[in-house]
Amino acid sequence: MLAQARHWDELTAGLVMARLQPPQMLKFFTEPEAACAAALLDQITGQDGEPKIPVLHMIDARLAAGETDGWRYAEMPEDGLAWRQSLSHLDADAFLRCGSVFADAPQAEQMAVLQAVHDLKSGDWHGLTAAHVWSLWTRYACTAFYSHPDAWAEIGFPGPAYPRGYKNAGVGKLEPFEVHDTQPSDDPVRGGA
Amino acid sequence: MRSVRARNESAWLLPNDGTRTNHRLRQDMRRFADEDEIDLVIVGCGAGGSVLLQRLARAGWRVAALDAGPFWDPDADWVSDEAGSHHLYWTDPRVIAGTDPVPLGSNNSGRGVGGSMVHYAGYTPRFHPSDFATCSLDGVGADWPLAYPDLQPYYAEIEQELPVAGEHWPWGDPHGYPHRPHPVGGNGEIFLRGARKLGITAKVGPVAIANGRFGNRPHCIYRGFCLQGCKVNAKASPLITHLPDALAHGAEVRADAMVTRVAVDERTGRVTGVHYLCGGAERFQRAAMVAVAGYSIETPRLLLNSSSGRFPDGLCNDFDQVGRYLMVQGAPQTAGRFGAEVRMYKAPPPEVSSEEFYETDPGKDYKRGFAIQTVSPLPITWAEHIAAQGHWGRALREYMSDYVHWSCLGALCEFLPLPGNRVMLDSEKDRYGLPVARFSYSQCDNDRALVRAAQSVMEDILHAAGADEVITIQRYAHLVGGARMAADERHGVVDGRCRSFAVPNLYITDGSVLPTQGSANPALTIMAVAARAADRLIAGSRGGTD
Repeated sequence: MLAQARHWDELTAGLVMARLQPPQMLKFFTEPEAACAAALLDQITGQDGEPKIPVLHMIDARLAAGETDGWRYAEMPEDGLAWRQSLSHLDADAFLRCGSVFADAPQAEQMAVLQAVHDLKSGDWHGLTAAHVWSLWTRYACTAFYSHPDAWAEIGFPGPAYPRGYKNAGVGKLEPFEVHDTQPSDDPVRGGA
Repeated sequence: MRSVRARNESAWLLPNDGTRTNHRLRQDMRRFADEDEIDLVIVGCGAGGSVLLQRLARAGWRVAALDAGPFWDPDADWVSDEAGSHHLYWTDPRVIAGTDPVPLGSNNSGRGVGGSMVHYAGYTPRFHPSDFATCSLDGVGADWPLAYPDLQPYYAEIEQELPVAGEHWPWGDPHGYPHRPHPVGGNGEIFLRGARKLGITAKVGPVAIANGRFGNRPHCIYRGFCLQGCKVNAKASPLITHLPDALAHGAEVRADAMVTRVAVDERTGRVTGVHYLCGGAERFQRAAMVAVAGYSIETPRLLLNSSSGRFPDGLCNDFDQVGRYLMVQGAPQTAGRFGAEVRMYKAPPPEVSSEEFYETDPGKDYKRGFAIQTVSPLPITWAEHIAAQGHWGRALREYMSDYVHWSCLGALCEFLPLPGNRVMLDSEKDRYGLPVARFSYSQCDNDRALVRAAQSVMEDILHAAGADEVITIQRYAHLVGGARMAADERHGVVDGRCRSFAVPNLYITDGSVLPTQGSANPALTIMAVAARAADRLIAGSRGGTD
């Protein structure tokens, strides 16, 4: 993918390449919050080893800059505060469950805590609507994770396409620089190969 | 009809050297002084405001349009990247409420000159004749104070100016398009294949992307980033379809100017201009007339924030109509997985649509209908689709890794206009100290029945095309209403020519005046309504008297 970067316009290339730089210092999250958020985001994005896409740092930068999606649910505080509150609620849930903060809980316990929040759907979670909290976490996490070239490579997305564009659109058709899915039978819908 | 170029030279005023912006035209732009009483000041430079500006400038009016956001330059400001396009959306704080709260921002709210058409997909269908009389015909919704034939000539004009590409259109009032249909990519192919198997008519278009050169606008390169702002100048937005011509005819576009309040003369009850913030300074532009074109959230908010002695509950709000009957379309998105690689990102998201289910079917237990269109989400939006199925962690990653195998359709369901779906002022203030909009939305039974029906048709189409599994996400699309046109002031805010009932020299010329929404993407209709309002203004006298 990055071999194709020479075909991208300069502005876009600069933006995308900046995501590959070592992450900035955290500005928004406190240390305990950062530990909790890092564990939460690893769980949501399924990152259990190195190297990692620095989702935590990308979200921290967004929250520090106040770069919201332009709306909030009426019963939720603004996004920054909603993040802080939901992280402290996660720690509380983990403590109740296994006597440690969320970041220190074993993987299986972390997953159980999160699945419980997810399964509440529109029910109440510490005074917030669980589904709205879940939406906040996954929106920020997915936006950060799938803006990274490593994630694009994993799903077969070629990334920026200006000024070159595409010449071979259509089912089963490839550009000269595209390659077929290496695991076409690995269909998650059918439970994988 | 005169040739497009004789009516609107915008496409020929753009550079043809590979750059996208005529900087000279902007540098040489006429600039009015605040104390100049201009003929008309327009608030908002999107679909409605820009068409009005261009038409009136051509007629010799002294007009300026103020926009809260920047005067975009596709070369310097836009990228071929999803996350990097965040600045195209209106992201000032807003609160969403109701039993079915509707997310705003990237979903439906643009920022800057060109408005939401900068990041819309590009679909530009006409409304059907039935859309203008749903109350009389079907006993739901509302009747417009105008009928389809009143808008028809404006539809045809705007379709040429954008220009629109598509097959001959068999639905509503059958019509052709000025440009031939674009070739389809994998996603369009799947839709056509599935529809053919089921005997459902689906057509290529209608898309406001020139097929071939148009003036100095180049051919589409099918890069799939329509929703991130077209860096090519191939997809139509007012930034390239109407504003160059407006500037060439003496109009001013004042960017980065946030209008905070429309001023009313307490003695005459007429508006006298607009208060706005620009570069940290509070300013006031005098004008003989004001046209508000801030779209369905900001237009009602501005009117409500412009209360005065004469209008204690908000400008034009004597009958509690401002902000009400706001509509979104139910837009379930159904995706199907195929063994073959579809690679839906390799073509414009707008490709193929069907309006076969648009009209009321007497055999169904719901009124009105829905349209089905291809949508081709890029990775971040696609991840939201997968996450909405409840997948996270490893499952999310595994589903996502199959991205190239998925095809995705979207429906537009005609949700009905309801009085309780409205914009009000929240107690929260924005960075200017102004109360933010609180947008409340709740569906009715008919709305929910439409969504179920649309989802099942999309699932059928994808299965017929060979999908081994289908998944659906519930979402919403577009905004219209909030300051609707009506026969009288007890049922709406403006009349059929967009003039407010309460103030003779105040107009509203954007999507908020639409009383119903059909199952059509609203951009073309917003432009046509503004073009018609412009004609009426030009035919009358300046200053809002008959």
